[in-house]
Amino acid sequence: MKKIVSKLLTAIFLIVIAGISLVPIIWVVSSSFKSNSEILSAVSGFQTGLHLDNYTNAFKLAPITIFYKNSIFIAIVATILNLIICTMAAYVVVRCRFKAKPLITMLFSLGLIIPGAALIQPLYTTFTATHLYNTLTGLILVYTALGMPTTFYVMVSYIKTIPYSLEEAAYIDGCGFFRTFVQIVLPITRPAFATAGVIQFLLAWNEFQFALTLTGQTEKRTLPIALYYFKSAFASDYGAMFAATVVVIAPTIIIFIIMQKQVVAGLAAGSVKG
Amino acid sequence: MKKNTKWVVLFLLPGVALFAFVFLSTLVTLFVTSFTDWAVGKDMTFVGLKNYIYLFTEDENFIQSVKNTIIWIVLQSVFHVFIGVVVALLISKKKWYSSAMRTIFFVPNIISSAALGILFLCIMNPQFGLVNNIITKLTGSTFSHNWFMDPKTAFVSVTLTWLPYAGLVTILVLAEMSSISEDVYEAAMIDGATKLQTDIYIVLPLMRNIIGTSTVLAATSMLQKLDIIMMTTSGGPGNKTMNMPMYLYKTVFTNNNYGLANAQGVLLILLGAVVLVFIRKMYKMDKED
Repeated sequence: MKKIVSKLLTAIFLIVIAGISLVPIIWVVSSSFKSNSEILSAVSGFQTGLHLDNYTNAFKLAPITIFYKNSIFIAIVATILNLIICTMAAYVVVRCRFKAKPLITMLFSLGLIIPGAALIQPLYTTFTATHLYNTLTGLILVYTALGMPTTFYVMVSYIKTIPYSLEEAAYIDGCGFFRTFVQIVLPITRPAFATAGVIQFLLAWNEFQFALTLTGQTEKRTLPIALYYFKSAFASDYGAMFAATVVVIAPTIIIFIIMQKQVVAGLAAGSVKG
Repeated sequence: MKKNTKWVVLFLLPGVALFAFVFLSTLVTLFVTSFTDWAVGKDMTFVGLKNYIYLFTEDENFIQSVKNTIIWIVLQSVFHVFIGVVVALLISKKKWYSSAMRTIFFVPNIISSAALGILFLCIMNPQFGLVNNIITKLTGSTFSHNWFMDPKTAFVSVTLTWLPYAGLVTILVLAEMSSISEDVYEAAMIDGATKLQTDIYIVLPLMRNIIGTSTVLAATSMLQKLDIIMMTTSGGPGNKTMNMPMYLYKTVFTNNNYGLANAQGVLLILLGAVVLVFIRKMYKMDKED
């Protein structure tokens, strides 16, 4: 009897958890195919067919195409840049001897404990002074820096597992420091790139606060800001608003499902050290 | 190990330069200007601690934002972490639904929080929101409540947009649990411990560090919640759901008072540091097992 009760309670608890996680998303996806009046009268099912025009409306009402292009460009470049910078730093921290090592490790982890909101105004000033305000380059630099702690830790712990003998052999064969790094080390670290890269990509794709405060014009903004547009300007076309939300969240959910293993590994590595 | 000064410098340079540009220079600006009177179109003048004194003695919005932020930190550190740990314990023994459950629970954490904000804005909408629909269907009479704009429910509604979504805690605890050796469970079973006893007396103590880490992450995430607040209540009605990032944002972009905003930024960082130290002490995270 006691066992049945505890099993039942477990089942109810887990169903509630799964429900609150999934139902909102399913509701938004299904609402994105409904007409405005169907949404307002809260009918279930699709009585007047699937309203794909919500999606075309969403793209017409807000410049989502531009936002999409910007988001893809910024996320990809910020990920590549972040991986290059952090892998180089992680490599010398693991393999070389120098005095400033603890200082470097501290620098790379400091980003974890600074709440981003504190930096809004100073970054805004710095960016206006350096003409980076309202540029894609500016956002790329910020996102590259924001992701440094996680990528750095993932790369350090991975490079530590690579046996040094491979590099030693390369040096004996007369290979220089840089060539050994590019030709021997980088190919081996590829699995860690996937782990750190996917986390970094999601960070850049989802970021809202700096995207809002460091850009001013539609031409330079990213997808999360598109939703802010809908909230303030087009709030009466609910179907289009739902469609826009789906368009923003779909890529992240797909990436997460495909690369779940890497996401989990990256999160574990990145946060445990913080 | 190789000594190779030229390459060490070259390899560290891009990272250090970027750090200096994005974090170091801004932190210096933040700290220095927090002691000045500085607004758009006005010269910067040094005023000592005036901004800080004003914030704590006269600025009711700021005081409210600190109170709210601290309440949210406490709620998140306790209930959010609790939910995440309980789910992890329930799905840790490989069941058919374990990995599906883990994936589902993490979905709200992986999507952009701006999207999560708008999702909740729709779900709690007074006209067509899912919550009111369900209540209407259950009670049979039309129910229309503006969850985010009613001062009585605004705070709870905002809290619910993040409190139950503890997928990250679950994933971190599960990752740590996978490193517990099977022998431990076997030994507990031989000694006649039930599943619950094993969890409470053996598994949880081994999880102390990761639960501490999760608590740090959960608590400090409350110092970053600008997106969801902006998408739902913007801190209102009145200042009922005002938190520190939202008020800081308003001080910069609505009131254009940079000196005052940067004093808030310094206090935000300080609060983060205090929370971090406090939780690490509480979970005795500095000591090795």
